[in-house]
Amino acid sequence: MKPSDEFELNAFVDGELSADQQAEWLEAMRADPELARQACELGQLKAQIRLAYGSPPQVRRRNADKVRESWRAVAASITLLAVGLVSGWLLHAGNPGEKTANAGRFVVLDADGRGQAPAVAADEETRIVFHLTNADQTVAGELLDEVEGMLNAYAADGHPLRVEVVSHSEGLDLLRESLSGHKERIHQLAMRFSNLTFVACKNTIDRLKVERGIEVKLIPDAEVIDSGVSHVVKRQREGWSYIRV
Amino acid sequence: MNKLMSIVLAGLVGLMTWSGIATAATEGAKQKVVYHINEDDPKQQTGALRNIQNLINAVGKDNLDLRVVMHGNGVSLVLLPDALGRVKGFKNANADPQMQAAIDALKGQGVAFKVCNNTLTNRKVNRDEDLYMVGAADIVPRGVAELAILQGQGFAYIKP
Repeated sequence: MKPSDEFELNAFVDGELSADQQAEWLEAMRADPELARQACELGQLKAQIRLAYGSPPQVRRRNADKVRESWRAVAASITLLAVGLVSGWLLHAGNPGEKTANAGRFVVLDADGRGQAPAVAADEETRIVFHLTNADQTVAGELLDEVEGMLNAYAADGHPLRVEVVSHSEGLDLLRESLSGHKERIHQLAMRFSNLTFVACKNTIDRLKVERGIEVKLIPDAEVIDSGVSHVVKRQREGWSYIRV
Repeated sequence: MNKLMSIVLAGLVGLMTWSGIATAATEGAKQKVVYHINEDDPKQQTGALRNIQNLINAVGKDNLDLRVVMHGNGVSLVLLPDALGRVKGFKNANADPQMQAAIDALKGQGVAFKVCNNTLTNRKVNRDEDLYMVGAADIVPRGVAELAILQGQGFAYIKP
């Protein structure tokens, strides 16, 4: 059998030939028992594969399909991350004494479990999560002004305050070594205020790598969280104020 | 991806607003909503005011406690066009007669417009001369802090 025949035999078994071609093959098989046996075996093999995999592995794929596939994979991984994050949080919530690394900075990693306690009126701590999605470094600078002003004012009044700046999507630029217009300032603020945390979204970092081949290098003061969106949702559920920038 | 994110975000914002409103409604109290404005695009601001009017039309002004909090570039909503030469850091001054009418209409239905004092100081804005109808009672020390405080009081947060 020639390679092209083998290809056509596959098409025949898959029922992809025109009526005329099918008739030709049936005629040929009647004349050639070996060919009929091959067709039968191939049919069985394909049935077994279908049974094992649900659907046969695709041999050829167009590029567009691959792209669509990777979108789906990204979407699925986000969903998985969200599920993982939420379930992890639920599991973790029962164990508030557990310590994590970076204990001096309690906000993101929830050392001492403080982040898991919902904001209640009794503890009088104001908790704000800023969701930065804007790449404009002027806007980011104004955000830092606001944050610094608040931290100073609350400290002066003796009111407890916790602030997280979650950089997500284009807002990630603020925390990127090569693009941030405020590296030194962020460092100064992070050193001065232990109740201030800068958080980078890992989904965004991964997406930049997959889509544009960019290896994101973050500034040293940035913490990384799996999903910026999940994180701000979690914070709001815990009673934090949410402000989008 | 961006589209997916926007859909997810829009859904979340919708859900949050809805749950905030639903909670307020079950308490039999006024529905409390704070609108956050910190950008200077006049179209976006006009859209925000229309959005507020739509909410009032749907729920009724007597059932609502609505605040608009402006800071940074958002103060351009009440910045008079002829003040643009005097103040610092603004590219737009959007309080033209049309915007003034929209603001007046909403104020008449009980909407409060709050302006960040920090922004006024930093950008050399004179409350009496440069802004459209902003009184002492309309000033809050820090716009961002005000947003946090209001959310602490049960206001739903909307960034139009």
